[in-house]
Amino acid sequence: MSVLHLTSIPFLLGGFFFFFTATVGLLRFPDFFCRLHATGKGDTLAVLLSLIGLSIYEGFSFTSLKILFIAVFMFLAQPTSTHAISRAAMRCGLEPWTKKMEKKNDSNL
Amino acid sequence: MTRVTDDIIIRAVARVIMPFIQIYALYVIMHGHHSPGGGFQGGVILGASFILYLITHGLEDAKKRMSELKAGLFSSFGLLIYSGIGLLCLIMGSNYLDYGRLSTLLKVIPAQARSLGILGVEIGVGIAVMAVMFSIFFDISTGGVVPEDEQELETGDE
Amino acid sequence: MSNFFLYLGMGLFTLVFLCLYRGVFGPGVLNRIAAISAIGTKTLVILLIMGFIYHRVDMFVDISMVYALLNFIGTIAAAKYLENGGEI
Repeated sequence: MSVLHLTSIPFLLGGFFFFFTATVGLLRFPDFFCRLHATGKGDTLAVLLSLIGLSIYEGFSFTSLKILFIAVFMFLAQPTSTHAISRAAMRCGLEPWTKKMEKKNDSNL
Repeated sequence: MTRVTDDIIIRAVARVIMPFIQIYALYVIMHGHHSPGGGFQGGVILGASFILYLITHGLEDAKKRMSELKAGLFSSFGLLIYSGIGLLCLIMGSNYLDYGRLSTLLKVIPAQARSLGILGVEIGVGIAVMAVMFSIFFDISTGGVVPEDEQELETGDE
Repeated sequence: MSNFFLYLGMGLFTLVFLCLYRGVFGPGVLNRIAAISAIGTKTLVILLIMGFIYHRVDMFVDISMVYALLNFIGTIAAAKYLENGGEI
């Protein structure tokens, strides 16, 4: 176990932790927009940390540069797709959930 | 009819990302010997970049970049490259697509001539697949109804 | 180290099944689109971890990059389809 291997383990464990909390948020939040918060932000950070950890594990080579390219692309693309979905929900007339509502406000589209 | 996304974020991000998708598609075509990829896979990614442009920028802008006529010409051009290399091998006195005979034309050993022949064929396949994918998506999304045709039908009736 | 990657991969695979619950039972189409996008992101990391387990990273990097591209394009197309009420 060299130094590179030991350095990459915290990144991978952090990525797995954020994946776990994003999935729990996707299942348990009461409204569609709250679930988009969880999966849009949590998943992006988790992918970023995981890919940085994997590229550190590989060392300094061409393959690790390609993995960093994937990380930059995910950093640009995933918030854009989250924005596109939330815009579609607003245009369809879905309203955010407030605490005064009695039941969960899920979309019925 | 495909409308423009009236949202500046999606349009700007798609415009920034498209050249890099196309460069990656060219890498996948060229590096097909040593890594997963090849002609068809690279052609699909290249076609996907044009489909992204069609989705985010609407029908009019996409027709300026790649009209139906250009898509048809590109697919025929790709097929011409593929069968042209095969016919060239036939002319040199061997079977169809037997790249070993190209070694006298290119002045390399027969093994290298086979490798270059496969690369040329993959490029032709990639171009043809890109054009066909864009053309199919164009036809399905418009349903065969294009605004200019509708105007011609209306003025023709009157 | 290979055992560590194996357990990480199995944990991510369990998370994929949990996201699939929202994909199947999510009331409405929008919840399903968000769940599929999340599954795609997790699949990308699982593919890379599989590359590390088999000691052949060079092959799996290209595949995961292509899957990231297709996930992005698919989600934007689905969102635009819903926004315009059935036409892209």
